[in-house]
Amino acid sequence: MIELVNIVKKFEDRTILNIPYLAFEEGKRYVLMGVNGSGKTTLLRIMAGTLKPDMGEVKNIPRENMGYMPQLPYAFGFTVRKNVEIALPKSPSSTEKAMHALQAVGMDGMATAHGHTLSGGETQRMAFARMIALPHTLLLLDEPTSSADIRGMDEIETTLLRYVADTGCTTIISTHSPAQALRLAEEIIFLDKGEIVEQGSAKSVLRNPQNEDVKLFLKHWKI
Amino acid sequence: MDSIIQAIKLLFGADPELRQIIGVTLRMSFSSTIISSLLGIPLGVFIGSTEFRGKAWVLRITNTLMGLPPVVAGLIVLLILSRSGPLGKLKLLYTVTAMVIAQVVLITPIITGLTNNIVSLRAPQIQETAVGVGLSRSKQMLYTIYECRMQLISTVLAGFGRAIAEVGAVSIVGGNVQYKTRVMTTAIMLQTNMGHFEFAIALGIVLLVISFLINAVVQRLQEGKLRDD
Repeated sequence: MIELVNIVKKFEDRTILNIPYLAFEEGKRYVLMGVNGSGKTTLLRIMAGTLKPDMGEVKNIPRENMGYMPQLPYAFGFTVRKNVEIALPKSPSSTEKAMHALQAVGMDGMATAHGHTLSGGETQRMAFARMIALPHTLLLLDEPTSSADIRGMDEIETTLLRYVADTGCTTIISTHSPAQALRLAEEIIFLDKGEIVEQGSAKSVLRNPQNEDVKLFLKHWKI
Repeated sequence: MDSIIQAIKLLFGADPELRQIIGVTLRMSFSSTIISSLLGIPLGVFIGSTEFRGKAWVLRITNTLMGLPPVVAGLIVLLILSRSGPLGKLKLLYTVTAMVIAQVVLITPIITGLTNNIVSLRAPQIQETAVGVGLSRSKQMLYTIYECRMQLISTVLAGFGRAIAEVGAVSIVGGNVQYKTRVMTTAIMLQTNMGHFEFAIALGIVLLVISFLINAVVQRLQEGKLRDD
C-alpha cells in the first residue's frame, strides 16, 4: 500500500498541499479531482519524485516500476517510435513493443513522424504509449487527455482500462472531467486548496457529494 | 581608396607576417572557444537543470562574470602567470597559451550563462518526462543537451565571436610580440597607431570574412535543422 504521511508543500507563504494521511491500495484506480490550483499536479509530482515536499513522507512508492506522464509531456526531436523506445530497456524486441504500444493508441501510422511535428493531442497519445509499452505496478497520469480530441480520449481511456486489467497496476489519474472520472475511477479523491475535501467511490462522490465545494464544482458540469 | 587596394594586394600577395598573424589568431580563438565550451556547456546545463542551495548566488556571480571587462581578465591572468605569481614557474606569460587562458577566463562565464538561459527554459518539461519514463540522470542531461543543440551552437559561436574580436586581455598577457603572440586585433591597433592603414584594413577584411563564413555555416546548420523539424 502506498502511503502519504503529513505531506505539506508551500509556495512562498501559500500552502498548496496539506495531506495528513492518504493511502492507495494496490491494483485500484484512483482519480484526483478539483479545480485549477487545488493541488492535483503537486500531489502527482511529489509522488513521482519530481517535486520535494517541505514536510512529510511518501512510503512504498515502487520507483523502479513506476510510469509518470506529466501534464505537458515532451516529444523529443526524433521519430515517434524512438520517443516510445526510450522508455524501454534496450533489447531486440524494443521496436516491436514500441510499435505495439503506438498501435494501441492509434499512433502506429505516425511512427516515423518527427516528435516536434506532433500536435498537443498527438503528443499526449504518444506519451501515453510510452507509459503502456512496459508493465508497471504504478501509473501516475496528470490530465492524460486534456489536449486529445474525443477519439483520442476514447483510445487512451479504452487502452488504459485494458492495460490496468492486464497488469493489475495501481493507477492515479487527475482530471477535471466528472464524466471521465466516472468512466475511469473506482475511487475519487477530491482536492480543494491543497486539502482532501471528499473521498469515496466514484458513484457516491459524483452522484451524492457531501462537501459544498464538490457540490458547486459538479453543478457546473450537469452530469 | 588606395589603402583598400593595397590591403587587397597584401591579402592576395600572401604576406608572411599577415599569414602568421591569421594563424595565431585562429589557433588562439579556436582553442579558447573549445576549452570554454567544454567547461561552460556542462556547467550551464547543470545550473539550468538542477535545483540546489545557493543557485541564486551562482547565477549572480555568473552574470557578473559575463560582463567581466577584458582588461581585468588580462590583469588577473597576468598576476597569476607573472614571475612572482602562483604559476610564474610555468613561464607562460607572453605566450599563446597565456592568451588562451585569459580568453577562457573571459568566455567560459558567457557560455555558462547563455547555456543556463537556454536549458532552464526547456529542462523542466524534459526532466518531468524523462523521470516519468525512468531515464537516469546522465541520460536526462544528454537528452537536454540534444534538444538544445542548435541554440548551444549559437552560444559557442557567441563565445568564438568574443574570442576573435578580443583585444584587451590578449595584449596584456600576450604582449603583442611580432611573429609570436601578435593577433589580428592587436595588430590592427598597432598598425593603425603607426599609420599603416593598408595592413590594418587587410586584417579587418580577414576578420570580417572569417566571422561571415562561420555565421554562414551555423545558419546553414540551423536551417537544415528547421527543415528536418
